[in-house]
Amino acid sequence: MISFNNTTQLILLILSVGVFISALEYIKKIQVFSSNGLLSWNVMQLRWTQQDQKPLLKPLSKLFNERGLAALFVIRCLLIISLLFYPLQSTMGWVLLSLLGLSLLISSLITYYGSDGSDQMTILIVITLVACNLPGLGTPKLAEIGLWFIGLQACLSYTVAGIAKLVSAEWRAGTAVKDVFSTKTYGSKKATLFLQKYPAANGFLCWNVMIMETLFPLCLFLPWQYAMIFLIWGFTFHFLTALIMGLNSFFWAFMATYPALYFINHQMPWHLF
Amino acid sequence: MMAKLDAAVIYETIVTVFLAFWFLITIVCQFRDSVLSNFFKHKVDIFGLIPLWTFFAPHPGKRDYHLLYRDKITEDNYSEWHEIDITEERSFWSWLWNPEKRDKKILSDVVQSLVTMIPTYRKEELGLNLLMFSMPYIIVLHAVSQRQKQSAEVSRQFMLAETSGYQKETDPALVLLSVFHQI
Repeated sequence: MISFNNTTQLILLILSVGVFISALEYIKKIQVFSSNGLLSWNVMQLRWTQQDQKPLLKPLSKLFNERGLAALFVIRCLLIISLLFYPLQSTMGWVLLSLLGLSLLISSLITYYGSDGSDQMTILIVITLVACNLPGLGTPKLAEIGLWFIGLQACLSYTVAGIAKLVSAEWRAGTAVKDVFSTKTYGSKKATLFLQKYPAANGFLCWNVMIMETLFPLCLFLPWQYAMIFLIWGFTFHFLTALIMGLNSFFWAFMATYPALYFINHQMPWHLF
Repeated sequence: MMAKLDAAVIYETIVTVFLAFWFLITIVCQFRDSVLSNFFKHKVDIFGLIPLWTFFAPHPGKRDYHLLYRDKITEDNYSEWHEIDITEERSFWSWLWNPEKRDKKILSDVVQSLVTMIPTYRKEELGLNLLMFSMPYIIVLHAVSQRQKQSAEVSRQFMLAETSGYQKETDPALVLLSVFHQI
């Protein structure tokens, strides 16, 4: 059986790939943070109207420009590379991960528009790992609690997404996938042509996503060989959404939770069947 | 030894309670229109730590949004409409490397916030004029105002339109037409 140390390291490794790619993508698009960019701090700071938020933002506002944020993303990449050499359980590993978490928190103040569920899952995992592995105070039990939290959040995310789709008439009618794939924002011409050629695939894909997402938490309780069905489905689902919809960061953020699901499944003293 | 053990137990309890609270709040905030959800989302969660997991539901995004602008050069002289491309097609490698998604997602989020706000502002007494003070409107105005202009004295107007993507060859529909702004 995999130990929680290995599970934590595996989570961190998978997550790091996604965070590294994401940081490089931001560096490539750094002009969005310039004074005439979409996320110019001149405009974005208007979001913070409460007086009690001003002391927090004042020292950071000098960082929120093209050059400052480019430096932040480069530092983030260096932190990720350094984490390859230090396990999380070492003091240095924990410090590096804490700094990575800090950089994610700082950039989240200016990326209110443009961030997505993968960014939230990433920050959630990093904060949990930092909190649960504090050198000197973090206990093995706390590390396990952290893994439970990550696994349960992953299950919650799938179930909520599944239920929200089940209550939607468009999803139940089997038209939602076709409609999303036909947009230039999240779809593709090839996928649209495929679904036009095989209309039955629309209904299949909609119901497949609704059922599997809603029932996803069963992967915690079922015997491992059956639980694997959900994880293989999840892998395929995220790979296809990366391929067709360009949602590459979701793949890494959600795959990073799967070792926690494995851990929880193997902790269960009972199985449903 | 005893003191260290106690500190570890206290720390463990604090972190466990924190994570349990975080998990519960995440569940509460999935009901996006509830009072508690609005409170945590808008007053407490400055770092965006409380996720909303309802991806592409209940209403899947089935429209492409288009942002266009034009200049008023003189009282009777207007430039052509220019489009700021938000929805260009992705490359083969987008499954792995997709930096384009960032500005597309920003504008898409901003436009969708604006689209969501329009009915609310229409109901209010001052109507759409108040929309000009909203964050998404200012971001869009800022984005279009940075584009090259023909002379220093022009005023600029933007338009948000929507289309149905690849599948339906329908004409674009107007979502919002701004007033002319001095830029």
